[in-house]
Amino acid sequence: MFVLLRQLGEIRRRARLGRGSGTRWLGVRHVDAGSCNGCEHELGLVTSPLHDLQRFGLDIVASPRHADILLITGPVTTRMAGPLRTAYDAMPTPRLVAALGDCALGRNVLGERTELIGSVERLLPVDIRIVGCPPTPREIAEQLLDALAELGP
Amino acid sequence: MTLLRPVAARAWRAAVSEAIERRGERFGGAWATRDGGWRAVMLAGDEAVVLCCDAEDGRVDSIVDIAAAALWDEREAHDLHGLGFIGHDPLRPLIEHTAELERWVTPVSGEGVHQVAVGPIHAGVIESGHFRFHVVGERILALDTRLFHKHRGLERAAEGLAPDDALKHAGRACAACAVANTVAYAQAVEDATGLWPSADLRRQRTVLLELERLYNHLHDIGAICAGVGFAPGSMAFAALKDRAQELNAQAFGHRFLFGTVAIGGIPVALDPPAAGALRGALRELRADALAGWRDLTFAASMQARLDGVGVLELEDALRMGVVGPAARASGVPLDARVGNRRLVYGGLRPASPPAATGDVAARLRIRALELEATCDMLDELLSLPLARDGASPGRERSPVGVGRVESPRGETVCTVELVAARVARMHLRSASYANWPAVARATAGNLLPDFPLINKSFELCYACADR
Repeated sequence: MFVLLRQLGEIRRRARLGRGSGTRWLGVRHVDAGSCNGCEHELGLVTSPLHDLQRFGLDIVASPRHADILLITGPVTTRMAGPLRTAYDAMPTPRLVAALGDCALGRNVLGERTELIGSVERLLPVDIRIVGCPPTPREIAEQLLDALAELGP
Repeated sequence: MTLLRPVAARAWRAAVSEAIERRGERFGGAWATRDGGWRAVMLAGDEAVVLCCDAEDGRVDSIVDIAAAALWDEREAHDLHGLGFIGHDPLRPLIEHTAELERWVTPVSGEGVHQVAVGPIHAGVIESGHFRFHVVGERILALDTRLFHKHRGLERAAEGLAPDDALKHAGRACAACAVANTVAYAQAVEDATGLWPSADLRRQRTVLLELERLYNHLHDIGAICAGVGFAPGSMAFAALKDRAQELNAQAFGHRFLFGTVAIGGIPVALDPPAAGALRGALRELRADALAGWRDLTFAASMQARLDGVGVLELEDALRMGVVGPAARASGVPLDARVGNRRLVYGGLRPASPPAATGDVAARLRIRALELEATCDMLDELLSLPLARDGASPGRERSPVGVGRVESPRGETVCTVELVAARVARMHLRSASYANWPAVARATAGNLLPDFPLINKSFELCYACADR
């Protein structure tokens, strides 16, 4: 279930994201690496008034340079592998990678194709896995927050 | 049954020209095959004819001067199948991303002209695609779009599969157009295999298509609000969209209606209480959406940002083969629902905005009109329960089948070639594919900060186009 806002400080410490003392906030940068747009639609609603991810201290940020978490959708097309890597390299460390949706987790309907890397894990170390095709806004928020709560030191 | 009309390579231009100029047909997409074949589908009313030829020495005459809508189709066939097009010069790369910058951008020069490169990764939660603006100061002179970062090779992956197995390829092309794409694909296969949908199946599919249009139009209105930075509107319509998708989940088990379309049948049903419940909830949603729309019309700070921005002229819309709400907002009375005998649209006429000004304002208003019409259609369609029913055989088979559906973004044409009951070629030409070139056209002459607004007013899918 949802973790409370005041737990975020603890989450930051355990996830070793303690940059900026006392800031109970995590920046999430989204990268679409070839999704069907389903995960984007649902992720867009996670920050809408109904689900309101910001109340938990998380927000979508405009640049990977402002981000603690890189949230990636899609099976990672060969054409997006380069830009995805660039975004990851632009992030400050320590950093987390979240794979959002079944495609990003290597379970896309096409299987192995030359146009696809196939999963985020084949390119970057994945810390957080959010399952679903696509996961609903509530499932995205819950799985993201639960995963953050469970991240060990 | 769709006719397959073989044409000699040297007669290709004449055949297309005759179809357009003499018979008044519309270009509906072109695709290459692995064995050097080149096809074009021509549309007239509810009928379709597929012209086919074999390339000579890997080359065919270009038709872009006759059918400007074929611009991307020819570039794609060159990149993916190595076809050459005589007279298409310069033939710029479209899907091939390794080319030097000079080979794919429009040459624009002059004092103070410079390029602004944006993407493929954008600032918000947006699909990936690259835009290269040629600007003087803040004024956009031209825009080169470089999409296909999300190219997954869906069509190639479908080749050799049983038609039922390739359905998911059409479905995963795009979540927001999943029903439109799968219905178009199912229709294409049914057309090729001589099946005709029953009355129940036609009604069922129409309900699903309109439910898809409902949540998309709500989303698109909210997106335009976001484009001008009007947070109350974008938040209100995001909440309405979420409600519409929840209704999809309650009635059919999935917020994007995945898994509701099958070839020759329908895997879902609505009993009388469920149909009644959905109908009642949609009436409430309709009332709230119209109230939200009324609020928008009185939001002066928002309305002041819409007029005269991103104008797509009528002649450009016609010439470029633009479809859907974008075409209707420019005054093109085109809607693939009209006269569609494989769905149930009765005497529907294309919506037309109060003024077909072709700007952001017109593209916004047409969606509000269509939203209301869609709610009214659903109310009527859901007055009866939806039964599981199929399609009946009895029609002639054809080596090629065509499916046509009006997706929330416009006409989507799916073509399937079957050989020995396997998919030899599947081609999905979504409304987004048809309309992307028009975004660049409507952008020229506007200010750079207005591009997100103009882009949102078309609200095209990258996933649908890239496949």
